[in-house]
Amino acid sequence: MIQTLVPRKVKVLHRFRETPDIVSLTLPKVGTCVPGQFYQLSVLGYGEAPISVASYTTKTVQFTIRQAGTVTNALANLKKGDTLYIRGPYGKGYPLKEYEGKNIILIGAGCGVATLRGVIDYIIHHRHKYNDVFLFFGYRNVNDIIFKKEAVQWKEVFNFKTALSKEKSTTCHDWTSGHITEVIEGLKLRTKNTGVFICGPPRMINDTVAILKKKGFTDEQLYLSTERLMYCGIGMCCHCMIRGKFTCKDGPVFRFDEIGYFKND
Amino acid sequence: MGVYTLPRSQLHLFLAVLSKRSPVYVPVKRDAIRFEPYNGTIDFSDNAYFPIKEHFFRKRETILRFDGQKLITVRPTSSKKIFFGVRRCDLTALKHQDSIFQKQYKDPWYKAQRANTILIGYHCATPPNKYCFCDGMGLEEYQDLMFYEQKTQFLVEVTSVKGAALIKKYRRFFKKANKRITDADKHIKTRKLRKRDFNAIYDHHAWTAGVNKCLSCTACTAMCPTCYCYELHDELDTLKHGTRCRIWSSCQVKAFTRIAGNHVFREQREHRFKHRIYHQIQYFREQHGFDLCTGCGRCIAACPTRIDWVSIANKIT
Ligand SMILES: Cc1cc2nc3c(=O)[nH]c(=O)nc-3n(C[C@H](O)[C@H](O)[C@H](O)COP(=O)(O)OP(=O)(O)OC[C@H]3O[C@@H](n4cnc5c(N)ncnc54)[C@H](O)[C@@H]3O)c2cc1C
Ligand code: SF4
Repeated sequence: MIQTLVPRKVKVLHRFRETPDIVSLTLPKVGTCVPGQFYQLSVLGYGEAPISVASYTTKTVQFTIRQAGTVTNALANLKKGDTLYIRGPYGKGYPLKEYEGKNIILIGAGCGVATLRGVIDYIIHHRHKYNDVFLFFGYRNVNDIIFKKEAVQWKEVFNFKTALSKEKSTTCHDWTSGHITEVIEGLKLRTKNTGVFICGPPRMINDTVAILKKKGFTDEQLYLSTERLMYCGIGMCCHCMIRGKFTCKDGPVFRFDEIGYFKND
Repeated sequence: MGVYTLPRSQLHLFLAVLSKRSPVYVPVKRDAIRFEPYNGTIDFSDNAYFPIKEHFFRKRETILRFDGQKLITVRPTSSKKIFFGVRRCDLTALKHQDSIFQKQYKDPWYKAQRANTILIGYHCATPPNKYCFCDGMGLEEYQDLMFYEQKTQFLVEVTSVKGAALIKKYRRFFKKANKRITDADKHIKTRKLRKRDFNAIYDHHAWTAGVNKCLSCTACTAMCPTCYCYELHDELDTLKHGTRCRIWSSCQVKAFTRIAGNHVFREQREHRFKHRIYHQIQYFREQHGFDLCTGCGRCIAACPTRIDWVSIANKIT
């Protein structure tokens, strides 16, 4: 694997504002990537940020970026036709091949849904290869919901539930109020022949895993997409180490038994 | 490949002549012992305080330049260097760094610094200080020549083709010796780190003695000949121009794992303190089959509170 840290130039093909602080950028595809992998995107002078593949398309790749700081703000401020730099793809994606012929449950919170979006697109393209597919997404409030347009189709194809933790439900909505973990806790889920892909903040992942294990899911059925500070993306700078594993290279998608619960080590 | 002798009285003359060709870095006593181009003095009283790492994996490396959104590639430059007086722990440390930067990743910046380097080792007849624990840390031969200090002369062992060529070129200084260097001659007897599966003792209370004395000052990682963590940063010269550079970083600070939103994964000092040790002697072994640490003891010598983690680890049963 020859890797340098020098990115290459691309131009923004399309930009879409999802929410007040989340923007989706469509860029020409660099290399071949699978859902769950990520690229390092940069605006020169601002720095680099690892961003997940949020699509499954042949010629382009979409990134959905939450404005969290220096680099992500610079990325979000780009307009159609603007220049940015990219290197990747890096890391291991979701085990989509392994779960052909089986059921898949996707659980995402906040911007973590972006990472699962690539999986959804993949499944839509290969719908006949998968049985029941469930989407459980959690946000804080209505304004945080991303992929509203796409969700219209998802509702038809999948079992789809959205939970909003900071929103009190008064009238009839297509979302429930509360944390996504609470929603999952209250559901009856079939564990047989099912894989669960989870992406969200560390605490949400821990809680979700604990609930699923109580429901009878085994470690081997649970896949987590993890987030760590990282610079190189290739297992060299060591910032993203989770004990002996590199998030960028051995992950960011880990099977639960590879890393266990998030701890502080 | 042959053993030669060099009279002690000839060492400085040899180094002076050698310096004419390219800079010869030798351990010199300044504020502390560091490797500097030969200038008439040399100090073997202790191991160099600063390892030679910074000459290859440099503290600051320019990865690229930019002018607005125009990327300007930077070609790494290379120059000839000879290192004289490098001890076995540091030679092995360099081998480990090579295995990361050159073998696993073809890092062009490291490669440029590393190319054209001649390594002349210095064998420790006795451990240079009380912190060393290289015995049992898997030291390897990685030099072109090895110098063994004796009363009136140095035994010079040729250990590579490059080394043989060097002897040939400066043959007038060296006399062929009728001696073989045995494994026993190469062995350095120091205290030992008791090796085992360190994962099993991660939560042992004995570590607390070290954790409580740690200041998160990062001296240990900065002085380590094998630590190789880095960060990438864009630095601006003007509002438009600047460089993306790679700089050393340390797992001892919170910023090492701080992500946007201010979440720090290794928030407690305990976990940062252990992470350095565990990466060196457990995680790296899990990944590569050998320890990253070579037992030079600098992390203890440089630590302001002298945390002797080797003694702590050894006491854990
Ligand atoms: C594998 C992976 C996939 C990701 N996918 C997405 C995604 O699809 N959408 C999205 O919005 N966000 C994603 N993130 C998080 C995103 O990378 C960070 O929010 C972003 O790096 C913050 O950079 P910043 O400059 O805006 O923030 P600042 O706080 O200003 O950060 C400054 C510097 O710190 C580093 N940094 C800060 N936070 C992170 C972080 N979480 N991960 C890595 N480096 C960080 C960056 O190098 C950045 O240059 C992902 C992170 C990882 C590790
Ligand atoms: S040198 Fe000592 S005090 Fe400083 S960070 Fe390392 S272990 Fe802690």
